[in-house]
Amino acid sequence: MIEVRDLTKSYGLHKAIDRLNFSVNKGEVVGFLGPNGAGKTTTMKIITGFMAPTSGQVKVAGLDVFEDPVEVKKRIGYLPETPPVYGDMTVEEYLRFVAHLKGAERAKIPSLVARAIEKTNLGDVRKRLIQNLSKGFRQRVGISGAIVSDPEILILDEPTVGLDPRQVAEIRALVKELAGQHTILLSTHILPEVQASCERIIIINRGRIVAEDSLDGLTKRMSGSGRVVIRVRRAIFGLAEALGSITGVRHVAAVSGSVQSGQASSNGNGNGLGAVSQVAGEVVFEIETDGAEDTIEKIAAQVVGQGAGLMEMKSESVNLENVFLQLTSSEEQQGSNVAAGVQS
Amino acid sequence: MRGILTIAGKDLRSLFYSPLFWVISFLLTGVWSVLYQVSLGTFARNATMMQMQGQESSMSLHEHVFAQHVGLVNFLMILAVVALTMRLFAEEKKNRTFDLLLTSPVTATQIVAGKYLAGLLASWTLVGISLLYPLATMFLADFDLGPLMASYLGLLLLVACYVAVGMFASSLTESTVLAVVMGLIFSVGIWFIGALSEAVEQPFWVTVFEHLSVGKHFSFFIRGGVGVASIVFFLSVVFINCFLTQRVVESSRWR
Repeated sequence: MIEVRDLTKSYGLHKAIDRLNFSVNKGEVVGFLGPNGAGKTTTMKIITGFMAPTSGQVKVAGLDVFEDPVEVKKRIGYLPETPPVYGDMTVEEYLRFVAHLKGAERAKIPSLVARAIEKTNLGDVRKRLIQNLSKGFRQRVGISGAIVSDPEILILDEPTVGLDPRQVAEIRALVKELAGQHTILLSTHILPEVQASCERIIIINRGRIVAEDSLDGLTKRMSGSGRVVIRVRRAIFGLAEALGSITGVRHVAAVSGSVQSGQASSNGNGNGLGAVSQVAGEVVFEIETDGAEDTIEKIAAQVVGQGAGLMEMKSESVNLENVFLQLTSSEEQQGSNVAAGVQS
Repeated sequence: MRGILTIAGKDLRSLFYSPLFWVISFLLTGVWSVLYQVSLGTFARNATMMQMQGQESSMSLHEHVFAQHVGLVNFLMILAVVALTMRLFAEEKKNRTFDLLLTSPVTATQIVAGKYLAGLLASWTLVGISLLYPLATMFLADFDLGPLMASYLGLLLLVACYVAVGMFASSLTESTVLAVVMGLIFSVGIWFIGALSEAVEQPFWVTVFEHLSVGKHFSFFIRGGVGVASIVFFLSVVFINCFLTQRVVESSRWR
Protein backbone atom coordinates (compact mmCIF):
# COMPACT_ATOMS: atom_id res chain seq x y z
CA MET A 1 0.00 0.00 0.00
CA ILE A 2 2.79 2.39 0.90
CA GLU A 3 6.22 1.95 -0.65
CA VAL A 4 9.09 4.17 0.35
CA ARG A 5 12.30 3.98 -1.68
CA ASP A 6 15.57 5.73 -0.81
CA LEU A 7 13.75 8.63 0.74
CA THR A 8 16.03 11.48 1.77
CA LYS A 9 15.17 14.91 3.08
CA SER A 10 17.80 17.48 3.91
CA TYR A 11 17.31 20.80 5.60
CA GLY A 12 20.44 22.57 4.50
CA LEU A 13 23.30 20.34 5.58
CA HIS A 14 21.24 18.51 8.15
CA LYS A 15 19.73 15.28 6.89
CA ALA A 16 16.38 14.80 8.60
CA ILE A 17 15.96 11.40 6.97
CA ASP A 18 18.57 9.49 5.08
CA ARG A 19 17.70 6.88 2.43
CA LEU A 20 14.69 5.33 4.11
CA ASN A 21 13.31 2.14 2.62
CA PHE A 22 10.23 0.40 3.86
CA SER A 23 6.82 -0.71 2.78
CA VAL A 24 3.46 -1.13 4.43
CA ASN A 25 1.10 -3.79 3.15
CA LYS A 26 -2.63 -3.49 2.80
CA GLY A 27 -4.48 -3.84 6.10
CA GLU A 28 -1.35 -3.72 8.21
CA VAL A 29 -0.91 -1.61 11.32
CA VAL A 30 2.65 -0.40 11.41
CA GLY A 31 4.21 1.48 14.29
CA PHE A 32 6.75 4.09 13.43
CA LEU A 33 8.89 4.40 16.49
CA GLY A 34 11.73 6.67 17.34
CA PRO A 35 12.96 9.29 19.76
CA ASN A 36 11.95 12.89 19.28
CA GLY A 37 13.61 14.40 16.25
CA ALA A 38 14.32 11.06 14.60
CA GLY A 39 12.53 12.00 11.39
CA LYS A 40 9.13 10.41 11.95
CA THR A 41 7.11 13.51 11.22
CA THR A 42 9.21 14.42 8.19
CA THR A 43 8.68 10.95 6.71
CA MET A 44 4.94 11.14 7.30
CA LYS A 45 4.68 14.58 5.79
CA ILE A 46 6.41 13.35 2.66
CA ILE A 47 4.13 10.32 2.36
CA THR A 48 1.06 12.54 2.62
CA GLY A 49 2.35 14.84 -0.11
CA PHE A 50 2.62 17.76 2.28
CA MET A 51 6.31 18.06 1.63
CA ALA A 52 8.62 17.10 -1.19
CA PRO A 53 11.63 14.88 -0.50
CA THR A 54 15.15 15.89 -1.50
CA SER A 55 15.42 12.58 -3.31
CA GLY A 56 13.70 9.21 -3.34
CA GLN A 57 10.27 7.99 -4.19
CA VAL A 58 7.01 7.27 -2.40
CA LYS A 59 4.24 5.20 -3.90
CA VAL A 60 0.81 4.97 -2.32
CA ALA A 61 -1.57 2.38 -3.71
CA GLY A 62 0.69 2.12 -6.76
CA LEU A 63 0.55 5.88 -7.46
CA ASP A 64 3.55 8.14 -7.17
CA VAL A 65 2.86 10.83 -4.57
CA PHE A 66 4.46 13.53 -6.69
CA GLU A 67 3.06 12.61 -10.04
CA ASP A 68 -0.48 12.08 -8.88
CA PRO A 69 -0.85 14.01 -5.62
CA VAL A 70 -4.60 14.57 -5.78
CA GLU A 71 -5.42 10.87 -6.21
CA VAL A 72 -3.00 9.91 -3.45
CA LYS A 73 -4.38 12.52 -1.05
CA LYS A 74 -7.91 11.20 -1.57
CA ARG A 75 -6.75 7.85 -0.22
CA ILE A 76 -4.97 9.15 2.85
CA GLY A 77 -6.36 10.37 6.14
CA TYR A 78 -3.69 12.27 7.99
CA LEU A 79 -3.52 13.46 11.56
CA PRO A 80 -0.59 15.86 11.97
CA GLU A 81 1.13 16.50 15.31
CA THR A 82 -1.13 19.47 15.99
CA PRO A 83 -4.73 18.57 15.11
CA PRO A 84 -5.70 20.86 12.20
CA VAL A 85 -9.03 22.04 13.59
CA TYR A 86 -10.82 25.35 13.15
CA GLY A 87 -11.78 26.88 16.47
CA ASP A 88 -14.76 28.75 15.04
CA MET A 89 -16.52 25.63 13.78
CA THR A 90 -18.59 23.11 15.65
CA VAL A 91 -17.42 19.52 15.60
CA GLU A 92 -20.09 18.56 13.10
CA GLU A 93 -19.41 21.51 10.81
CA TYR A 94 -15.72 20.70 10.85
CA LEU A 95 -16.24 17.07 9.92
CA ARG A 96 -18.62 18.05 7.11
CA PHE A 97 -16.03 20.50 5.81
CA VAL A 98 -13.26 17.90 5.88
CA ALA A 99 -15.48 15.35 4.14
CA HIS A 100 -16.22 17.84 1.34
CA LEU A 101 -12.57 18.81 1.12
CA LYS A 102 -11.56 15.17 0.82
CA GLY A 103 -13.97 14.83 -2.06
CA ALA A 104 -16.34 12.33 -0.44
CA GLU A 105 -19.55 11.66 -2.31
CA ARG A 106 -22.10 14.33 -1.37
CA ALA A 107 -24.92 11.90 -0.64
CA LYS A 108 -22.75 9.89 1.73
CA ILE A 109 -21.47 12.81 3.78
CA PRO A 110 -24.14 12.81 6.54
CA SER A 111 -23.58 9.12 7.20
CA LEU A 112 -19.79 9.49 7.05
CA VAL A 113 -19.91 12.31 9.59
CA ALA A 114 -22.22 10.32 11.85
CA ARG A 115 -19.92 7.33 11.65
CA ALA A 116 -16.79 9.37 12.46
CA ILE A 117 -18.53 10.99 15.42
CA GLU A 118 -19.67 7.66 16.71
CA LYS A 119 -16.26 5.99 16.35
CA THR A 120 -14.44 8.73 18.21
CA ASN A 121 -17.15 9.15 20.87
CA LEU A 122 -17.80 12.78 20.07
CA GLY A 123 -21.59 12.55 20.26
CA ASP A 124 -21.83 14.73 23.36
CA VAL A 125 -19.87 17.61 21.88
CA ARG A 126 -21.02 17.50 18.25
CA LYS A 127 -22.67 20.92 18.51
CA ARG A 128 -19.91 22.59 20.51
CA LEU A 129 -17.38 25.02 19.08
CA ILE A 130 -14.00 23.38 18.77
CA GLN A 131 -12.24 26.31 20.45
CA ASN A 132 -14.16 25.53 23.64
CA LEU A 133 -13.07 21.91 23.74
CA SER A 134 -10.24 20.49 25.84
CA LYS A 135 -7.01 19.33 24.28
CA GLY A 136 -8.02 15.68 24.46
CA PHE A 137 -11.27 16.36 22.66
CA ARG A 138 -9.52 18.42 19.98
CA GLN A 139 -7.16 15.53 19.43
CA ARG A 140 -10.15 13.26 18.99
CA VAL A 141 -11.75 15.72 16.59
CA GLY A 142 -8.48 15.59 14.65
CA ILE A 143 -8.60 11.79 14.49
CA SER A 144 -12.25 11.99 13.56
CA GLY A 145 -11.31 14.31 10.70
CA ALA A 146 -8.67 11.86 9.51
CA ILE A 147 -11.15 8.98 9.31
CA VAL A 148 -14.24 10.88 8.18
CA SER A 149 -13.73 10.36 4.46
CA ASP A 150 -13.18 6.64 5.09
CA PRO A 151 -9.70 6.65 3.49
CA GLU A 152 -7.85 3.44 2.69
CA ILE A 153 -4.77 4.62 4.53
CA LEU A 154 -4.53 6.35 7.88
CA ILE A 155 -1.39 8.18 8.88
CA LEU A 156 -1.47 9.22 12.50
CA ASP A 157 1.34 11.32 13.90
CA GLU A 158 1.46 10.73 17.64
CA PRO A 159 -2.28 10.28 18.05
CA THR A 160 -2.30 9.94 21.83
CA VAL A 161 -0.18 12.94 22.78
CA GLY A 162 -1.87 15.11 25.36
CA LEU A 163 -4.60 12.69 26.27
CA ASP A 164 -5.39 11.38 29.71
CA PRO A 165 -4.86 7.65 30.36
CA ARG A 166 -8.48 6.75 29.77
CA GLN A 167 -8.58 8.59 26.46
CA VAL A 168 -5.29 6.97 25.49
CA ALA A 169 -6.86 3.58 26.08
CA GLU A 170 -9.87 4.62 23.99
CA ILE A 171 -7.71 5.76 21.10
CA ARG A 172 -5.74 2.53 21.19
CA ALA A 173 -8.97 0.58 21.13
CA LEU A 174 -10.10 2.73 18.20
CA VAL A 175 -6.89 2.05 16.28
CA LYS A 176 -7.40 -1.67 16.84
CA GLU A 177 -10.97 -1.38 15.66
CA LEU A 178 -9.94 0.51 12.54
CA ALA A 179 -7.15 -1.95 11.84
CA GLY A 180 -9.32 -4.32 9.87
CA GLN A 181 -10.62 -1.71 7.43
CA HIS A 182 -7.68 0.62 6.98
CA THR A 183 -3.95 0.42 6.47
CA ILE A 184 -2.48 2.34 9.36
CA LEU A 185 0.91 3.94 9.85
CA LEU A 186 1.20 5.30 13.36
CA SER A 187 4.09 7.23 14.79
CA THR A 188 4.90 7.47 18.44
CA HIS A 189 7.71 7.65 20.91
CA ILE A 190 5.58 5.92 23.50
CA LEU A 191 6.41 2.25 23.61
CA PRO A 192 3.29 0.68 25.10
CA GLU A 193 1.39 2.26 22.26
CA VAL A 194 3.03 0.16 19.58
CA GLN A 195 2.90 -2.86 21.83
CA ALA A 196 -0.81 -2.36 22.22
CA SER A 197 -1.81 -1.70 18.66
CA CYS A 198 0.84 -2.49 16.04
CA GLU A 199 1.63 -5.66 14.20
CA ARG A 200 4.90 -4.48 12.81
CA ILE A 201 7.37 -1.93 14.06
CA ILE A 202 9.80 0.27 12.25
CA ILE A 203 12.33 1.86 14.57
CA ILE A 204 13.96 4.95 13.22
CA ASN A 205 16.78 6.93 14.73
CA ARG A 206 18.60 9.96 13.37
CA GLY A 207 16.90 9.62 10.03
CA ARG A 208 17.77 5.96 9.51
CA ILE A 209 15.85 2.76 10.05
CA VAL A 210 17.59 0.82 12.78
CA ALA A 211 15.15 -2.07 12.95
CA GLU A 212 12.10 -3.29 11.12
CA ASP A 213 10.36 -6.36 12.41
CA SER A 214 7.28 -7.74 14.08
CA LEU A 215 6.88 -7.21 17.80
CA ASP A 216 7.77 -10.85 18.49
CA GLY A 217 10.71 -10.71 16.15
CA LEU A 218 12.15 -7.71 17.89
CA THR A 219 11.74 -9.24 21.31
CA LYS A 220 13.33 -12.47 20.10
CA ARG A 221 16.20 -10.54 18.67
CA MET A 222 16.98 -9.50 22.18
CA SER A 223 16.67 -12.96 23.69
CA GLY A 224 20.07 -14.20 24.63
CA SER A 225 20.27 -11.33 27.00
CA GLY A 226 18.69 -10.65 30.34
CA ARG A 227 19.08 -8.54 33.39
CA VAL A 228 19.31 -9.41 37.04
CA VAL A 229 19.05 -6.87 39.80
CA ILE A 230 20.32 -7.81 43.23
CA ARG A 231 20.30 -5.93 46.50
CA VAL A 232 22.84 -6.96 49.09
CA ARG A 233 23.20 -5.88 52.68
CA ARG A 234 26.97 -5.53 52.76
CA ALA A 235 29.27 -4.29 50.08
CA ILE A 236 31.90 -7.04 50.16
CA PHE A 237 35.23 -6.19 48.63
CA GLY A 238 35.62 -7.95 45.33
CA LEU A 239 32.00 -9.00 45.01
CA ALA A 240 31.51 -7.04 41.81
CA GLU A 241 34.66 -8.57 40.32
CA ALA A 242 33.60 -12.00 41.33
CA LEU A 243 30.18 -11.53 39.79
CA GLY A 244 31.77 -10.16 36.66
CA SER A 245 33.93 -13.23 36.28
CA ILE A 246 30.97 -15.62 36.13
CA THR A 247 30.60 -17.11 32.67
CA GLY A 248 27.57 -15.57 31.03
CA VAL A 249 27.72 -12.27 32.88
CA ARG A 250 28.37 -9.40 30.55
CA HIS A 251 28.35 -6.38 32.73
CA VAL A 252 28.02 -5.55 36.39
CA ALA A 253 27.15 -2.10 37.65
CA ALA A 254 26.58 -0.94 41.19
CA VAL A 255 23.74 1.49 40.82
CA SER A 256 23.15 2.66 44.37
CA GLY A 257 24.44 2.23 47.85
CA SER A 258 25.73 4.14 50.80
CA VAL A 259 29.31 3.51 49.73
CA GLN A 260 31.33 4.72 46.84
CA SER A 261 30.64 1.93 44.45
CA GLY A 262 32.83 0.96 41.61
CA GLN A 263 32.05 -0.71 38.36
CA ALA A 264 33.19 -3.97 37.08
CA SER A 265 32.81 -5.27 33.64
CA SER A 266 33.90 -8.43 32.01
CA ASN A 267 34.01 -9.89 28.58
CA GLY A 268 33.00 -13.19 30.05
CA ASN A 269 36.53 -14.52 30.47
CA GLY A 270 36.80 -13.16 33.94
CA ASN A 271 38.85 -10.06 33.43
CA GLY A 272 37.30 -7.82 36.07
CA LEU A 273 37.89 -4.12 36.07
CA GLY A 274 37.22 -1.49 38.68
CA ALA A 275 36.80 -1.99 42.38
CA VAL A 276 34.30 -1.66 45.17
CA SER A 277 35.65 -0.44 48.45
CA GLN A 278 34.90 -2.58 51.40
CA VAL A 279 32.70 -0.50 53.61
CA ALA A 280 29.55 -1.87 55.11
CA GLY A 281 26.39 -0.66 53.38
CA GLU A 282 23.59 -1.71 51.18
CA VAL A 283 24.36 -1.94 47.48
CA VAL A 284 22.22 -2.62 44.43
CA PHE A 285 23.88 -4.26 41.45
CA GLU A 286 22.52 -4.41 37.97
CA ILE A 287 23.89 -7.37 36.11
CA GLU A 288 23.51 -7.97 32.42
CA THR A 289 23.59 -11.64 31.52
CA ASP A 290 23.23 -13.90 28.54
CA GLY A 291 19.77 -14.74 29.79
CA ALA A 292 20.52 -18.39 30.62
CA GLU A 293 19.03 -19.76 33.85
CA ASP A 294 22.36 -21.30 34.79
CA THR A 295 23.90 -17.87 34.93
CA ILE A 296 21.23 -16.60 37.31
CA GLU A 297 21.80 -19.60 39.54
CA LYS A 298 25.55 -18.97 39.58
CA ILE A 299 25.01 -15.34 40.49
CA ALA A 300 22.82 -16.32 43.42
CA ALA A 301 25.37 -18.89 44.58
CA GLN A 302 28.21 -16.38 44.37
CA VAL A 303 26.40 -13.68 46.35
CA VAL A 304 25.28 -16.07 49.05
CA GLY A 305 28.66 -17.81 49.09
CA GLN A 306 30.46 -14.56 49.75
CA GLY A 307 28.12 -13.77 52.61
CA ALA A 308 27.07 -10.43 51.29
CA GLY A 309 23.57 -10.81 52.67
CA LEU A 310 21.23 -11.17 49.76
CA MET A 311 18.14 -9.04 50.39
CA GLU A 312 16.48 -9.07 47.03
CA MET A 313 17.02 -10.60 43.62
CA LYS A 314 14.89 -10.15 40.58
CA SER A 315 15.25 -11.15 36.99
CA GLU A 316 13.89 -8.73 34.47
CA SER A 317 12.68 -9.98 31.17
CA VAL A 318 13.62 -7.99 28.13
CA ASN A 319 10.81 -5.76 26.95
CA LEU A 320 10.41 -3.51 24.01
CA GLU A 321 11.77 -0.62 25.98
CA ASN A 322 15.16 -2.30 26.27
CA VAL A 323 15.14 -3.14 22.60
CA PHE A 324 14.32 0.44 21.77
CA LEU A 325 16.89 1.93 24.09
CA GLN A 326 19.56 -0.41 22.86
CA LEU A 327 18.81 0.15 19.21
CA THR A 328 18.57 3.90 19.45
CA SER A 329 21.50 4.39 21.77
CA SER A 330 23.92 1.85 20.32
CA GLU A 331 24.32 3.97 17.24
CA GLU A 332 25.20 7.01 19.28
CA GLN A 333 27.66 5.00 21.36
CA GLN A 334 29.27 3.61 18.25
CA GLY A 335 29.60 7.10 16.99
CA SER A 336 31.23 8.40 20.15
CA ASN A 337 33.46 5.35 20.46
CA VAL A 338 34.76 5.83 16.98
CA ALA A 339 35.34 9.46 17.75
CA ALA A 340 37.32 8.58 20.86
CA GLY A 341 39.22 5.87 19.06
CA VAL A 342 38.03 3.17 21.43
CA GLN A 343 37.37 -0.35 20.26
CA SER A 344 34.10 -1.67 21.54
CA MET B 1 -14.57 23.36 -8.77
CA ARG B 2 -15.93 21.65 -5.71
CA GLY B 3 -12.65 22.14 -3.89
CA ILE B 4 -12.76 25.87 -4.67
CA LEU B 5 -16.33 26.21 -3.43
CA THR B 6 -15.67 24.18 -0.28
CA ILE B 7 -12.76 26.41 0.68
CA ALA B 8 -14.56 29.61 -0.35
CA GLY B 9 -17.60 28.56 1.68
CA LYS B 10 -15.51 27.81 4.72
CA ASP B 11 -13.65 31.13 4.58
CA LEU B 12 -16.79 33.17 3.91
CA ARG B 13 -18.46 31.43 6.80
CA SER B 14 -15.59 32.18 9.12
CA LEU B 15 -15.59 35.83 7.97
CA PHE B 16 -19.30 36.27 8.54
CA TYR B 17 -19.20 34.44 11.87
CA SER B 18 -16.40 36.58 13.24
CA PRO B 19 -17.09 39.95 14.84
CA LEU B 20 -14.45 41.47 12.55
CA PHE B 21 -16.69 41.70 9.50
CA TRP B 22 -19.54 43.23 11.45
CA VAL B 23 -17.35 45.76 13.23
CA ILE B 24 -15.89 46.82 9.89
CA SER B 25 -19.35 47.10 8.30
CA PHE B 26 -20.60 49.09 11.26
CA LEU B 27 -17.72 51.58 11.17
CA LEU B 28 -17.79 51.97 7.39
CA THR B 29 -21.53 52.54 7.18
CA GLY B 30 -21.24 54.98 10.09
CA VAL B 31 -18.63 57.08 8.29
CA TRP B 32 -20.40 56.86 4.95
CA SER B 33 -23.77 57.82 6.42
CA VAL B 34 -22.42 60.97 8.05
CA LEU B 35 -20.19 62.14 5.23
CA TYR B 36 -22.63 61.31 2.40
CA GLN B 37 -25.36 63.29 4.08
CA VAL B 38 -23.01 66.22 4.61
CA SER B 39 -21.87 66.36 1.00
CA LEU B 40 -25.42 65.91 -0.29
CA GLY B 41 -26.59 68.73 2.00
CA THR B 42 -23.81 71.05 0.84
CA PHE B 43 -24.63 70.26 -2.77
CA ALA B 44 -28.33 70.98 -2.22
CA ARG B 45 -27.57 74.32 -0.50
CA ASN B 46 -25.20 75.43 -3.24
CA ALA B 47 -27.65 74.41 -5.96
CA THR B 48 -30.51 76.36 -4.34
CA MET B 49 -28.29 79.38 -3.85
CA MET B 50 -27.32 79.41 -7.51
CA GLN B 51 -30.97 79.09 -8.49
CA MET B 52 -31.90 81.96 -6.20
CA GLN B 53 -29.24 84.11 -7.84
CA GLY B 54 -30.97 83.28 -11.09
CA GLN B 55 -28.05 81.32 -12.50
CA GLU B 56 -28.52 78.20 -14.57
CA SER B 57 -27.49 75.30 -12.30
CA SER B 58 -24.50 73.72 -13.97
CA MET B 59 -23.49 71.60 -11.00
CA SER B 60 -23.62 67.91 -11.56
CA LEU B 61 -24.69 65.58 -8.81
CA HIS B 62 -22.29 62.97 -10.08
CA GLU B 63 -19.25 65.20 -10.00
CA HIS B 64 -19.91 66.80 -6.63
CA VAL B 65 -21.51 64.05 -4.59
CA PHE B 66 -21.05 60.64 -6.15
CA ALA B 67 -17.42 61.07 -7.20
CA GLN B 68 -16.57 62.21 -3.68
CA HIS B 69 -18.44 59.26 -2.21
CA VAL B 70 -16.66 56.79 -4.50
CA GLY B 71 -13.32 58.32 -3.51
CA LEU B 72 -14.15 57.91 0.15
CA VAL B 73 -15.35 54.33 -0.35
CA ASN B 74 -12.10 53.55 -2.18
CA PHE B 75 -10.01 54.99 0.63
CA LEU B 76 -11.84 53.14 3.38
CA MET B 77 -11.91 49.91 1.37
CA ILE B 78 -8.09 49.84 1.28
CA LEU B 79 -8.20 49.55 5.08
CA ALA B 80 -11.21 47.25 5.23
CA VAL B 81 -9.98 44.81 2.59
CA VAL B 82 -6.63 44.42 4.28
CA ALA B 83 -8.44 43.58 7.53
CA LEU B 84 -10.69 41.08 5.77
CA THR B 85 -7.89 39.32 3.90
CA MET B 86 -5.24 39.31 6.61
CA ARG B 87 -6.38 36.00 8.01
CA LEU B 88 -6.89 34.10 4.77
CA PHE B 89 -3.50 32.40 4.88
CA ALA B 90 -1.71 33.77 7.94
CA GLU B 91 -4.20 32.27 10.35
CA GLU B 92 -4.27 28.90 8.63
CA LYS B 93 -0.51 28.73 8.89
CA LYS B 94 -0.47 29.80 12.50
CA ASN B 95 -3.14 27.31 13.57
CA ARG B 96 -1.56 24.54 11.51
CA THR B 97 -4.84 24.05 9.66
CA PHE B 98 -2.85 24.77 6.52
CA ASP B 99 -1.56 21.19 6.91
CA LEU B 100 -5.10 19.95 6.37
CA LEU B 101 -5.51 21.94 3.16
CA LEU B 102 -2.15 20.84 1.82
CA THR B 103 -2.81 17.17 2.52
CA SER B 104 -6.29 17.28 1.02
CA PRO B 105 -6.98 16.41 -2.61
CA VAL B 106 -7.05 20.04 -3.74
CA THR B 107 -4.40 21.83 -5.77
CA ALA B 108 -2.64 25.02 -4.70
CA THR B 109 -4.57 26.82 -7.45
CA GLN B 110 -7.87 25.64 -5.99
CA ILE B 111 -6.88 26.76 -2.51
CA VAL B 112 -5.94 30.22 -3.77
CA ALA B 113 -9.04 30.51 -5.96
CA GLY B 114 -11.31 29.50 -3.07
CA LYS B 115 -9.77 31.97 -0.69
CA TYR B 116 -9.76 34.75 -3.26
CA LEU B 117 -13.42 34.14 -3.96
CA ALA B 118 -14.27 34.38 -0.26
CA GLY B 119 -12.30 37.61 0.19
CA LEU B 120 -13.80 39.06 -2.97
CA LEU B 121 -17.41 38.30 -2.03
CA ALA B 122 -17.01 39.74 1.47
CA SER B 123 -15.37 42.91 0.13
CA TRP B 124 -17.87 43.34 -2.69
CA THR B 125 -20.65 43.03 -0.12
CA LEU B 126 -19.28 46.18 1.53
CA VAL B 127 -18.99 47.95 -1.83
CA GLY B 128 -22.59 46.90 -2.51
CA ILE B 129 -23.70 48.47 0.75
CA SER B 130 -21.97 51.73 -0.21
CA LEU B 131 -23.93 51.79 -3.48
CA LEU B 132 -27.15 52.06 -1.49
CA TYR B 133 -26.41 55.71 -0.68
CA PRO B 134 -26.31 57.04 -4.27
CA LEU B 135 -29.21 54.74 -5.21
CA ALA B 136 -31.31 56.16 -2.36
CA THR B 137 -30.68 59.62 -3.82
CA MET B 138 -32.88 58.56 -6.75
CA PHE B 139 -35.85 59.32 -4.54
CA LEU B 140 -34.69 62.93 -4.18
CA ALA B 141 -33.35 63.81 -7.57
CA ASP B 142 -33.24 62.76 -11.17
CA PHE B 143 -29.85 61.83 -12.50
CA ASP B 144 -28.15 59.74 -15.14
CA LEU B 145 -27.28 56.28 -13.78
CA GLY B 146 -24.56 55.67 -16.40
CA PRO B 147 -21.58 57.47 -14.83
CA LEU B 148 -22.49 56.10 -11.38
CA MET B 149 -22.50 52.54 -12.69
CA ALA B 150 -19.19 53.11 -14.50
CA SER B 151 -17.67 54.44 -11.25
CA TYR B 152 -18.90 51.42 -9.36
CA LEU B 153 -17.53 49.05 -11.99
CA GLY B 154 -14.17 50.74 -11.47
CA LEU B 155 -14.58 50.45 -7.72
CA LEU B 156 -15.37 46.74 -7.90
CA LEU B 157 -12.31 46.13 -10.07
CA LEU B 158 -10.09 48.19 -7.80
CA VAL B 159 -11.35 46.38 -4.70
CA ALA B 160 -10.69 43.09 -6.51
CA CYS B 161 -7.07 44.26 -6.80
CA TYR B 162 -6.89 45.08 -3.09
CA VAL B 163 -8.22 41.62 -2.23
CA ALA B 164 -5.58 39.94 -4.40
CA VAL B 165 -2.83 42.12 -2.93
CA GLY B 166 -4.04 41.53 0.64
CA MET B 167 -4.27 37.79 0.07
CA PHE B 168 -0.74 37.73 -1.31
CA ALA B 169 0.52 39.62 1.75
CA SER B 170 -1.28 37.13 3.99
CA SER B 171 0.32 34.17 2.23
CA LEU B 172 3.80 35.47 2.98
CA THR B 173 3.61 35.26 6.75
CA GLU B 174 1.93 33.51 9.64
CA SER B 175 1.52 36.72 11.59
CA THR B 176 -1.73 38.54 10.92
CA VAL B 177 -0.18 41.82 12.08
CA LEU B 178 2.58 41.53 9.51
CA ALA B 179 -0.03 40.57 6.91
CA VAL B 180 -1.92 43.79 7.63
CA VAL B 181 1.18 45.95 7.46
CA MET B 182 2.40 44.39 4.23
CA GLY B 183 -1.09 44.45 2.76
CA LEU B 184 -1.43 48.16 3.50
CA ILE B 185 1.96 48.98 2.03
CA PHE B 186 1.27 46.93 -1.11
CA SER B 187 -2.25 48.35 -1.58
CA VAL B 188 -1.14 51.92 -1.13
CA GLY B 189 1.99 51.15 -3.11
CA ILE B 190 0.14 50.24 -6.29
CA TRP B 191 -1.19 53.80 -6.31
CA PHE B 192 2.34 55.11 -6.54
CA ILE B 193 3.65 52.94 -9.36
CA GLY B 194 2.31 55.57 -11.74
CA ALA B 195 4.32 58.26 -9.99
CA LEU B 196 7.48 56.58 -11.22
CA SER B 197 6.76 58.06 -14.65
CA GLU B 198 8.11 61.30 -13.20
CA ALA B 199 11.32 59.63 -12.19
CA VAL B 200 12.36 58.16 -15.53
CA GLU B 201 13.74 59.94 -18.58
CA GLN B 202 13.19 57.66 -21.55
CA PRO B 203 9.84 58.25 -23.24
CA PHE B 204 9.29 54.49 -23.45
CA TRP B 205 9.39 54.03 -19.68
CA VAL B 206 7.34 57.16 -19.10
CA THR B 207 4.57 55.62 -21.22
CA VAL B 208 4.91 52.28 -19.43
CA PHE B 209 4.57 53.80 -15.98
CA GLU B 210 1.73 56.04 -17.07
CA HIS B 211 -0.14 52.92 -18.16
CA LEU B 212 0.57 51.33 -14.79
CA SER B 213 -0.98 54.24 -12.93
CA VAL B 214 -3.94 53.04 -10.87
CA GLY B 215 -5.08 56.63 -10.39
CA LYS B 216 -5.27 57.28 -14.12
CA HIS B 217 -7.33 54.16 -14.81
CA PHE B 218 -9.61 54.69 -11.83
CA SER B 219 -10.33 58.35 -12.60
CA PHE B 220 -11.31 57.25 -16.10
CA PHE B 221 -14.06 55.11 -14.57
CA ILE B 222 -15.11 57.88 -12.19
CA ARG B 223 -15.57 60.27 -15.12
CA GLY B 224 -18.04 57.75 -16.46
CA GLY B 225 -15.88 55.91 -18.96
CA VAL B 226 -15.54 52.17 -19.36
CA GLY B 227 -12.31 51.29 -21.13
CA VAL B 228 -11.14 47.84 -22.08
CA ALA B 229 -7.53 48.87 -21.37
CA SER B 230 -8.44 49.85 -17.83
CA ILE B 231 -10.43 46.67 -17.21
CA VAL B 232 -7.52 44.61 -18.52
CA PHE B 233 -5.13 46.56 -16.30
CA PHE B 234 -7.10 45.83 -13.12
CA LEU B 235 -7.63 42.18 -14.04
CA SER B 236 -3.87 41.83 -14.64
CA VAL B 237 -3.12 43.16 -11.16
CA VAL B 238 -5.57 40.59 -9.76
CA PHE B 239 -4.06 37.81 -11.84
CA ILE B 240 -0.46 38.61 -10.97
CA ASN B 241 -1.17 38.68 -7.25
CA CYS B 242 -3.19 35.46 -7.36
CA PHE B 243 -0.42 33.84 -9.36
CA LEU B 244 2.22 34.96 -6.84
CA THR B 245 0.06 33.63 -4.00
CA GLN B 246 -0.28 30.31 -5.80
CA ARG B 247 3.52 30.11 -6.11
CA VAL B 248 3.93 30.83 -2.40
CA VAL B 249 1.43 28.10 -1.46
CA GLU B 250 3.05 25.65 -3.83
CA SER B 251 6.49 26.51 -2.50
CA SER B 252 5.56 25.50 1.04
CA ARG B 253 5.96 21.92 -0.13
CA TRP B 254 9.60 22.49 -0.95
CA ARG B 255 10.69 23.88 2.37
